[in-house]
Amino acid sequence: MSGGVDSAIAASILVEQGYNVEAIFMKNWDEDDKEFCTAVEDYKDALQVCDKLNIPLRSIDLIEEYWEKVFKIFLDECKIGRTPNPDILCNKEIKFKAFLDYAKEFGADQIATGHYSMISNQNGNFQLKRGQDENKDQSYFLCRLNQYQLSKSIFPIGALDKNLVREKAEKLGFMNHDKKDSTGICFIGERNFKNFLKKFFSIQPGEIIKNNGQVIGEHQGLMYYTYGQRQGLGIGGGYSDYEGPWYVSDKIIEENKLVVVQGKNNSELYHTHLTASNINWIAGVPPKKNKNITAKIRYRSKDTSCKINYRLNDILVEFENPQFAVAPGQSIVFYDQDICLGGGFIETRGNKNIL
Amino acid sequence: MIYFDHSSTTPIHPEVSKRMYEINQDHFANPSSVYESGRKAKSLIEHARFQIAEAIGAKRSQIYFCSGGTEANNQVLWTLINQKNRHIIISAIEHPAISKVLEKLKVFGVESSLVPVDKQGVLNTSILLDSIRNDTGLISIMLANNEIGSIQPIQKIIKQINKHNVPFHTDAVQSIGKMNVDVCELGIDYMSLSAHKFYGPKGVGALFVKNRDKFSSFIVGGNQENGLRGGTENIAGIVGMGLAAELAIKNQEKCIAQLNLLEKHFLSNIRQSLPFAKHNTTNNLPGLISISFPGYKSDILMAKLDRSNFAVSNGSACNAGTIKPSKVLKAIGLDDEINLSTLRISFGKDNTIEEVDQLIKALNDILN
Repeated sequence: MSGGVDSAIAASILVEQGYNVEAIFMKNWDEDDKEFCTAVEDYKDALQVCDKLNIPLRSIDLIEEYWEKVFKIFLDECKIGRTPNPDILCNKEIKFKAFLDYAKEFGADQIATGHYSMISNQNGNFQLKRGQDENKDQSYFLCRLNQYQLSKSIFPIGALDKNLVREKAEKLGFMNHDKKDSTGICFIGERNFKNFLKKFFSIQPGEIIKNNGQVIGEHQGLMYYTYGQRQGLGIGGGYSDYEGPWYVSDKIIEENKLVVVQGKNNSELYHTHLTASNINWIAGVPPKKNKNITAKIRYRSKDTSCKINYRLNDILVEFENPQFAVAPGQSIVFYDQDICLGGGFIETRGNKNIL
Repeated sequence: MIYFDHSSTTPIHPEVSKRMYEINQDHFANPSSVYESGRKAKSLIEHARFQIAEAIGAKRSQIYFCSGGTEANNQVLWTLINQKNRHIIISAIEHPAISKVLEKLKVFGVESSLVPVDKQGVLNTSILLDSIRNDTGLISIMLANNEIGSIQPIQKIIKQINKHNVPFHTDAVQSIGKMNVDVCELGIDYMSLSAHKFYGPKGVGALFVKNRDKFSSFIVGGNQENGLRGGTENIAGIVGMGLAAELAIKNQEKCIAQLNLLEKHFLSNIRQSLPFAKHNTTNNLPGLISISFPGYKSDILMAKLDRSNFAVSNGSACNAGTIKPSKVLKAIGLDDEINLSTLRISFGKDNTIEEVDQLIKALNDILN
């Protein structure tokens, strides 16, 4: 239980259904980080919820596990200019592993979370499904779970709309019913991403170039920029006749160069295919061929039809429609309608219309 | 609930609770007011002051009421910034209401020396003596520790440092009602007390000040407490504390006997049924047991005991309920793993052998 409204209602639903429920508050980030220690406030919110539900609240400290299994990898990926998604790793390694193990030690049979996603048991085969609330669906972040993890998990609010969750919370007298949704990466919170990263990386200035090689500015380190980024490039006008905004289209890691193009419709920003590695298929096996598969290349991207070509060590994915700013390091997640099939890490991308 | 966490806090004595209710009903007047009900309120406070003084062998004029042990400790430590000698010596197992204050005082040039303790949690007197400098302005050593119950030989230490003429403070919050506490015998200059540790109310405490010259106020405001503590007095709390102190002293012998009985019963049973358990300190406050169960995480143990409605404690919980290795347990040489497998069980005067038997059974059910 995080202190947020989703896990609170998840717990209340289970209590209603007659489960023997205990709440566990998870601490993954050290409070010494004063700027961002909302843990104490969150804990108090969780406590109020548990008091209303008359269930115990316990706490576990997974700070070390989070640092080792999520944050270090996040930093390593940033360092080489990729765009990692720590929430996906957190689900795989922390919430549905370290936390699950701990919960079992506490005596639990199953764990439940406030994820907007559903699990359906098809004769012992567990399927992960999108949440009912299209806008909140969190199956993307759960793409690396396996059968065992799903078999031990319950998502009580997966079939609810967020509005309804808030309404229920208000009715139950939970003080967190109108608490703001958390956005962004959990340990960064509402802070500025660049300022946060500066604590871990030195400034490594390099050139910002146009795709013809012309130098038009200076960047402060490739990790501070992401593919498709528009703001904060600090490029003035006067470098071309066309006055559209600049976008990051590529990073040349070896030369520490940031490539930018102008205008959102610039074809350099669109990709027709990508390769991805480390694919996790939730079912344990790849989907049958000829299935109508769609994919999301980032949490907020729309589903797009695609074709998967299996290769020795990775997969080659071809999109029906070119995708904006495919970012290496991000996860591509596959769906068969409402079923989340799994996902992998994006390695390279390309555009057959250009090459 | 079966409550075995009396070092955290104690349930309020029914007589104290009743008296406080009466005070709140009948004596709401401001003790600084000179009309009859104000005078009555003031005299109630003075009676409580007498009760506290009696309990620790002090004079009435040496007792100052405040909000609790933490404030009392703060008041003593913050005087350092007003004096030339800003070096302080403390033990390695002081409560955060001492050790954390010193972090704050650093910016005012207050330097501190930490005296280590042995495996039994008793400090090394010769290191303490060696730590005394020309500019040492205060020594603050707790009388009995809140996590392991170890009792410091304050009287002996003070005799040995006598020639240095350094003021000596002791945090005696854990001790009242569980051991003899006499300020003259001990020879201390300052002592912190807290009502809720001896069946009194929370939010009220007292500071013993041997000689109020050189001493100054900390919470500044009105002229209450002889100018040493501003703020309208918490009459019900103060009266409650006075009565609780009187009762604690009156029942002390009986209470200690009961606590010793429970402790002995618990330990001998655990020794037999769970021989791998490790009792950490032996020369301690009666009824306060620090015990480690190697191989078991204390938070899991706590959760399971909580399910069976036992209240015990482990380590030092942060505000979000997670457990960090205890600094006190570290100081007596426990490694992190044993540290995080340690429970503190602190019995109270009203606990019974039957309750202790239930705990022994619960621990056996969980651990066997």
